[in-house]
Amino acid sequence: MKNSIVQSLALAGILAIGLSSCGSGGDKTTPNAANDADKQILGAGATFPYPLYSKMFSEYGKTSGIQTNYQSIGSGGGVKQIMNKTVDFGASDAFLSDADIKSMPAEVVEFPTCLGADVISYNLPGNPQLKMTPEIIAGIFLRNITKWNDKKIAAENPDAKLPDMDITVAHRTDGSGTTFIFTDYLSKISDDWKTKIGAGKSVNWPEGELGGKGNEGVAGMIKQTPGTVGYIELAYALQNSMSIASVKNAAGNYITPTIQSTSLCANGDIPADTRISITNSNVDQGYPISSFTWIILYKEQNYNNRSKDKATNLVKELWWMIHEGQAQTAPLNYAPIPPKAVAAAETILKSVTYGGQPVLQ
Amino acid sequence: MTPYEIRGLQGRRIKDKIFTSVVWGLTFSCLAVVFIILFYIFKMGIPSLNWALFSQGPKPVGESGGGILNAIVGSLIVVVIAAIIAIPVGVSVGIFLAENRGRKLADRVALAIDVLQGIPSIVIGIVIYVWIVKPTGKFSAYSGSIALAIMMLPPIIKNTEETLILIPTTLKEASLALGASYFRTTMKILLPAGIGGIFSGCIIGIARIAGEVAPLLFTAFGNPQLTGSIFKPVDTIPKVIFTYASSPYDDWHRIAWGGSVILVSFIIVLNTIIKIFESRWKVQF
Repeated sequence: MKNSIVQSLALAGILAIGLSSCGSGGDKTTPNAANDADKQILGAGATFPYPLYSKMFSEYGKTSGIQTNYQSIGSGGGVKQIMNKTVDFGASDAFLSDADIKSMPAEVVEFPTCLGADVISYNLPGNPQLKMTPEIIAGIFLRNITKWNDKKIAAENPDAKLPDMDITVAHRTDGSGTTFIFTDYLSKISDDWKTKIGAGKSVNWPEGELGGKGNEGVAGMIKQTPGTVGYIELAYALQNSMSIASVKNAAGNYITPTIQSTSLCANGDIPADTRISITNSNVDQGYPISSFTWIILYKEQNYNNRSKDKATNLVKELWWMIHEGQAQTAPLNYAPIPPKAVAAAETILKSVTYGGQPVLQ
Repeated sequence: MTPYEIRGLQGRRIKDKIFTSVVWGLTFSCLAVVFIILFYIFKMGIPSLNWALFSQGPKPVGESGGGILNAIVGSLIVVVIAAIIAIPVGVSVGIFLAENRGRKLADRVALAIDVLQGIPSIVIGIVIYVWIVKPTGKFSAYSGSIALAIMMLPPIIKNTEETLILIPTTLKEASLALGASYFRTTMKILLPAGIGGIFSGCIIGIARIAGEVAPLLFTAFGNPQLTGSIFKPVDTIPKVIFTYASSPYDDWHRIAWGGSVILVSFIIVLNTIIKIFESRWKVQF
């Protein structure tokens, strides 16, 4: 009998806890929620700039009181969420295709915030510093060059001690902006690549290559197995001090990937809508496997009952990112956008409206 | 015994020994896997456990410290709300199944529950995204809770049903014969008698969803700020582990290991509670 009393008490207790937490859950919407909501910005997309954005938004929040929530769900996800209007801005490592722009429910604008680069990293006995031409890179990733002491590699690297070793190729298996930049570059330098494989966030790699998830997956394969070569983000390679090849650019110079040489790559002319691929650019000292990363937002900010305050907070924050925020890039191994790109981004942000009126006065 | 019979007997003994050692060996290898995983998680994670991990929100790369307070609170909110949604529904369905065994509708319901159990969690997340997040235009803790509640239902229903079946029908008949209503009989006789099994079903359900990240990716979404609201996006511990583990920074890896220790410890505690309940409050008549 006692036992059953205890048991019914326990049951009542569970129900009581359930009911009370139900109540407190509802109470937590504060009366001035509208005001708070204007100061909360939600963004999602590219994984590559996530560390930089989280640093930028944390810094901006300290002075402005704006709370920004950026979720790194991948470039494709960022485009999808802005399309569904579930976020205030999307972020993508590839600019929107014409088809993407057409499928948006309203006009969107996009602008670059920083630059990233892919480096070619390898693991060879003795850690020789290698130089690579576009031809060698395409050859290795198409599996036409399969030995490290191949004549083509040896010709460019007379001083390096090249072992008689098979080349193991590692690539990303997850869809990624990193892969997009790399395959975009390969498509520009090799017709063979363009027709057989093409450019994309994930592609059909030639047979006999290893796959890894994320930068860390590919980097892990390179570190573990001598003779392995793969492409990884510049920030990741610098952070983990990996062996990096210098690459011959379109101007004919061998360029070691650094923050400066990545930034230089974007020094050419930027179109008004900033949709430009800068891989294989012919800037004299620019590293050729580089790319912008973009932020996407609606040109007309008066949608889904958004307030004007929220629109203003959003655009002001994005304005800060391309100016003061750029100081955060170098310490985190990202490349800042060059002045021409800043100017283009300014024009774009000035064109953003609320109810037909420019948000920035 | 003829020599032939002895040889046969010896053969059987050898076979028996081989079989026993294979079973023991496989059992130990299974145990070993569990212990190696636990050992590794604790080895990597315990050094990164500190007060900051429990008391601070995330810090950007390059700033020392930082924790997962936002994710701990977020996980609690999402899991508690999911339990509040799933437990009444699950227990009711369990009662229905136990009371209507053999009927056509009950069979169909049981089949539906089996199908529900087999649906991949990411699919449930996408369905809730399309049903709730997209129409409202907002990621929120409660949408994540609904996704998790759906995942919690099968274990709660199964445990409730199986526990109630064990209760002798004479007990129910006695109550009804004394004039108690059906509702009263269920609430006062059946549920209290089976509370141990029902409760452990609920905890199995919670243990199942506590480590889920897939249904939350597009519902609860994530949020570096601490929030107590169920109408805002929130971070959860598994989501933080996923994000931080795939980052290039050592600081974030450490936080991911710390988060793993917290999560695994929580699951171990839940499983211990289940064992205690099962042994103390077993249905016995």
